[in-house]
Amino acid sequence: MINIEGLKKQYKETVVLDVPSLFIPKAECFGLVGNNGAGKTTLFRIILDLVRATAGSVMIDEEDVSQSENWKWKVGAYLDEHMLLSYLTPDEYFEALRKMYRMSDADMTLHLERFHELFNDEILGKKKYIRDLSKGNLKKVGIAAALMGNPEVVLLDEPFENLDPSSQNRLKKLIIQEKENSQITFLISSHDLNHVTDICERIVLLEKGQVIKDIKEKELMVAELNAYFGT
Amino acid sequence: MVLQLIKLELLKSMRSTSFAKSALVAIFLGFLAIVLLAYVLLLGIVLKDVLEKVLESQNAYETLSAGLIYFFLFEFMYRYFTQQLPVMELERFLHLPIKKSKIIRFLLGRSFISPLTVIAPLLFGPFAYREVLPRFGDIAAISWIAAIVLTSWSLHWLMLWFKQKFEDSLTGIGIVFLVLLLGVGSTYLGWYNLGEIIKPVFDWSLTSPIPVLLLLGVCFALYQMAFTYYRQNAYLEDLSQEENIRFANQDLGFLSRFGLAGEFANLEWKLIIRHKKPRTYLMLAGFFLLYGLVFYNNPQYASEEGFSHLFVFVGSFITGIFMLQYGQLFLSWNSANFDFFLQKREGVEALIKGKYLLFIVVSIICLLASIPYVYFGWDILLIHLATFLFNMGVVMHLVVSLSLWKPKPMDLNKGAMFNYEGVGIAQFLMIIPMMIAPYAVYLPFWWFFQNQYVGLAALAIVGMAGIIAFKPLSRLPVQRVLKNRYEISSSFRQEI
Repeated sequence: MINIEGLKKQYKETVVLDVPSLFIPKAECFGLVGNNGAGKTTLFRIILDLVRATAGSVMIDEEDVSQSENWKWKVGAYLDEHMLLSYLTPDEYFEALRKMYRMSDADMTLHLERFHELFNDEILGKKKYIRDLSKGNLKKVGIAAALMGNPEVVLLDEPFENLDPSSQNRLKKLIIQEKENSQITFLISSHDLNHVTDICERIVLLEKGQVIKDIKEKELMVAELNAYFGT
Repeated sequence: MVLQLIKLELLKSMRSTSFAKSALVAIFLGFLAIVLLAYVLLLGIVLKDVLEKVLESQNAYETLSAGLIYFFLFEFMYRYFTQQLPVMELERFLHLPIKKSKIIRFLLGRSFISPLTVIAPLLFGPFAYREVLPRFGDIAAISWIAAIVLTSWSLHWLMLWFKQKFEDSLTGIGIVFLVLLLGVGSTYLGWYNLGEIIKPVFDWSLTSPIPVLLLLGVCFALYQMAFTYYRQNAYLEDLSQEENIRFANQDLGFLSRFGLAGEFANLEWKLIIRHKKPRTYLMLAGFFLLYGLVFYNNPQYASEEGFSHLFVFVGSFITGIFMLQYGQLFLSWNSANFDFFLQKREGVEALIKGKYLLFIVVSIICLLASIPYVYFGWDILLIHLATFLFNMGVVMHLVVSLSLWKPKPMDLNKGAMFNYEGVGIAQFLMIIPMMIAPYAVYLPFWWFFQNQYVGLAALAIVGMAGIIAFKPLSRLPVQRVLKNRYEISSSFRQEI
């Protein structure tokens, strides 16, 4: 699904990302962990073609992301507030997205239905702009938006951050469900080792821009990560 | 403690994005402020002569004090539009162990350090020296100028309170209109003479210190009022939050017919009415519709045959002001969520097309709204039509292509006046082609055929050619943005 070759990102002399090769197959749940400044968000931004790679390429289904735009149909993402239209209410925002993705009203209702539990009646039908929502609710809107339009790949940056514990569990359930039902490839970065090891079958550990661990065995994950982070 | 606050303020302005990144702009602005103040001073120095020679007044003092009220009404207006509220900084200090009243006194005091404060002394000081002093003596002159300056400064505190309380509310707009109406009512309609009502106060100040003392009291009371109001409302929710959804929900539904671009134009419309800065721009476009009144019925520009060449400029302003102003900061408006558009397929293209669509729609509205000017002659209508076509065909593309030169991020919730966030050199230079372009087409044709209408026709034809070539022309900025997408998005994320 996603194929990264010789990827490098450099700001002047400092190399912030250096991934010689990384392949993420379809329907995998790919977890990305690492300390602050390890390059997680930069990697996501390069995959989304928001930041230019100094060298190398990212291919989504054989399509170079920096050369064309067709892949954008297949990819949903929520990295930060820059990806929201914060001056709209959530309802208006979803409506605008619906038109962009050319979905029908019924599809949209169906889609939002899945988030009913996560939204906890705090998002829809409220007369409040997105910019005035709390950080957690903002995140919920972003995640629901990222999953719109039947994407094949979904990138989420720190999805559990700022969510209350019950929302965290609901989100986990939701991701697992989506993965099973729609074969979505998830790329999730997180600091919450428990959650990310629970839902992901593969964890990649970044340190100073380099992949230093690529763990695919569920049993080993927790122990290895705990050893690395000293927790 | 106060010293520490002052130091922080200085650091803030030194390190603010607009200063550090474009020192040139800052220098230019500083220069501009000095030049303007120098003009005010110059006007103050020659004020006596102006009154005596131009207005042929026998008694300069009488004429001036009768007109003082208009100065203060005018001052009210410009203070309303330009004076900035100091509350933006409040949230940074509220949680610190500094007394609230101290912070607020500091912020209020800082707001007083502004060019607006010295306008009244600069303008009337020389007059007091040249006219009042010889006629009424030195004590009278001092007392008179003190009365004027204190009135002006009272307005400062009044405005701080007024704007915080009423800005963006219908009451506020109503009061501003009322003030305007007061002035108009007395000058044009002659219902009453405002000048006569205010004049005695200043006349009295020539002979007695009481008015000065009274005004000093008023000034202090207004300061206290502003202070108390700010002190009581020194909570984040009261001071810095935008009002919630009110009138801001209207859709421009018909835009949806234009596909994805129309959808984005609709979003842009919401962006405009839900943020302070673009909303002010929209309001200004409304005000500028009245701009023609200054020129079209001014005998100075009336000519025997045809019309004044200046009207071409006025016409292109009236029909295109929104596009000129809003378009200046083309992409900066979306700086907070540019990633959103990048991440959507054809998002950038639709965004730009949507903006074009919005410019066209608003310009058409301006054109339609300016039709009543036909009252001043059919020429005006022709001028508006020609400049409208030219704006759509040529100027629009000029604005867009210039504005894409290093777009900068900005915060849409700050006021529009004297807010130079997002403004770079390009925005300053932009005004030149905008003023020259219509004349570059109009004047040669007028000169060659010695016929103004040929000039107008040339404007219209060139404009229409541009409109026909809209598709390829509008594709250029799309390509440019896509080519520079990494730079633009990272500068919008403020990573540089």
